Amino acid sequence: MQWRRVTYHRRLFSIAIVAALTLAAASAEAVPAYARQTGQNCVACHVSFPELTPYGRWFKLSGYTIGVRQNVPLAGMALAGVTSIKNNDDGTGTGTPVTARNKLPAFNQASVFLAGKASDNIGGFVQYTFAESYGTDGTSVGHSGIDNTDLRWVGRVGNETADVVKLLYGLTVHNNPTAQDVWNSTPAFGFPFTTSPTAITPTAGTQIDGALGQQVAGIGGYAFYDRTWYGELTAYRTADGLFSVLRHGQDTATPGGVARLKGYNPYLRAAYNKEWGASSVMVGAFGMRVNRYVDNTNTDSGTDRYTDRGIDAQYQYIANPHTFTAQARYIRERQDYRSSFAQGLTSNSTDSLDSSSVKATYYYEHQYGVTLSHFSSTGSSDALLYPSGAVTGSGNGSPDSRGYVLELDYLPVQYVRLLLQYTAYSKFNGGGSGYDGVTARSPHDNNNLFFSLWVAY
Amino acid sequence: MDFLRSRAIWGAVSLLCGMLAPHAADAETTAAAAADQAAQKIAGSVCSGCHGPTGISTSPLFPRLAGQQEAYLVAQLKAFKTKTRGEQDAHDYMWGMATLLEDPVIEGMARYYAAQKPAPGVPGNAKLIERGKVLFEKGDPARPVVACSSCHGGHAEGASIFPRLAGQHAAYIRRQLEAIQKRFRASPVMHGVIVDLNSQDMAAVAEYVQSL
Repeated sequence: MQWRRVTYHRRLFSIAIVAALTLAAASAEAVPAYARQTGQNCVACHVSFPELTPYGRWFKLSGYTIGVRQNVPLAGMALAGVTSIKNNDDGTGTGTPVTARNKLPAFNQASVFLAGKASDNIGGFVQYTFAESYGTDGTSVGHSGIDNTDLRWVGRVGNETADVVKLLYGLTVHNNPTAQDVWNSTPAFGFPFTTSPTAITPTAGTQIDGALGQQVAGIGGYAFYDRTWYGELTAYRTADGLFSVLRHGQDTATPGGVARLKGYNPYLRAAYNKEWGASSVMVGAFGMRVNRYVDNTNTDSGTDRYTDRGIDAQYQYIANPHTFTAQARYIRERQDYRSSFAQGLTSNSTDSLDSSSVKATYYYEHQYGVTLSHFSSTGSSDALLYPSGAVTGSGNGSPDSRGYVLELDYLPVQYVRLLLQYTAYSKFNGGGSGYDGVTARSPHDNNNLFFSLWVAY
Repeated sequence: MDFLRSRAIWGAVSLLCGMLAPHAADAETTAAAAADQAAQKIAGSVCSGCHGPTGISTSPLFPRLAGQQEAYLVAQLKAFKTKTRGEQDAHDYMWGMATLLEDPVIEGMARYYAAQKPAPGVPGNAKLIERGKVLFEKGDPARPVVACSSCHGGHAEGASIFPRLAGQHAAYIRRQLEAIQKRFRASPVMHGVIVDLNSQDMAAVAEYVQSL
């Protein structure tokens, strides 16, 4: 059945690729939907996809409504790559590899976007993705479903002469916390923009950092005043009922398959933005409180409460030929396991998890890029949350991890990116050598080199 | 009779013209006012995204438009629309944007930006400004380089098809001089004038006009 499912998806994928290529060939300029809508090149909105320029932020906050409505507002994107992991033996003495696709081509994902304006006040994008996940035995499972989605309605308030928009405000419906944000210091569109489908990554992560992606519906309102002050209030709920399309493709029947939230959960965002010369800077804060059911299939399982507080900052210098950008964020999550602890699922009634990341990027002529990033997470030890286990476990129950990423990018044309990414760990799942509590594996063994090809059309 | 008839016809025609003429003028005024209104709305919600409120941009990637010459603005927007202005930035940013504009709106847009108060000059490197001032006002007869002021005006305020340069971002001026020299921008007058301008000259002139 599994094989048949993959074949079916492959066939669908092939059809999608052929359709997208036909559309691209039919268009005078083979660039994605927004570029076709505005007639502008990718560099108008992106430093490098998906990092936004000041104009890109304005375009997104304007509800993607600048330009001419397209009859076929479709675009496509595909990613494939090769990963080399430093030590591919899982250390159990059984000869089991960490990944059977080591140093072999691996397909990441292909997406189709329905993206564009519906009117001067309504626009958005819906991303539908087919992705492949790889098992250690060499098999792969294809999966398709909805990806990041953001639909907006916008309004504008002008000055007395109505030639300057003083206040840009709007409503957004989306399915991943911070996917609606326009600064790339928040998690959803933060660095790294592309990750290996086969590399091993640390276990711990905060709720706001992807744990709810494509599982919740966010209904929010925002305002951007004088291109300086940004404020947003969004409520997140389980994407069920009317909103179930926002988690289409997720496994809702299996315990642990998706996140299920109780009621509406608030998210707040404030940011100060300043633009001068070729530079722009943003300093901001965000916070979210989530009441999440222990078992998504059973509302009698009780809820745990997660409170995430974050601060972030971004600096961009965008000129020709030199572009320099930097982002930083720090998130502190308080985990109140009021139900899980009572059910013996966690060691502590409350835990904390702090994560931080900084990255700096340089681009020459929007074509040759280098990025250096440092990331770290620290938190309370909890042996039940972070149990031991070969490669992915933790011997001391600690979520602490630390490392850096060095990435080189080359864009021969604006909609093709070649990427070479090296990720190195100095601490992994709480420890150094023998971190997993089962084998002698060290954090360095998870270091990996990832080469990727990204194409959008 | 024929004479009378023809007089009667001409009389009727004159009367009709007399009745219609004010309406035709009114219609023109109304159309221009509508174009102005549309242009102003687009300027505020779209153009300002890069060119700044009232055309005073902060990023040197995008030229300042406030106080620019109306005829020059019309010519440039039409050149973007017809893709005859072909430097990389024009292709990346403006070709698509300009195709969204009907000709009357282009004219309204030009009227709007021409009427805005220009941004004041920005002080810069004194040595460069000094050298730029000499080139701008006197040129360099030895090479020969014609004085920029002969077309762009004594204070770089521009005239008709010759753009205002005063207060413009130096980095933008430098990129345009390079684009014109490499013939990415069609400008028959400039092609001859700046053929011998080197990158130091360009930097000096750009720094000078930015300071005005």
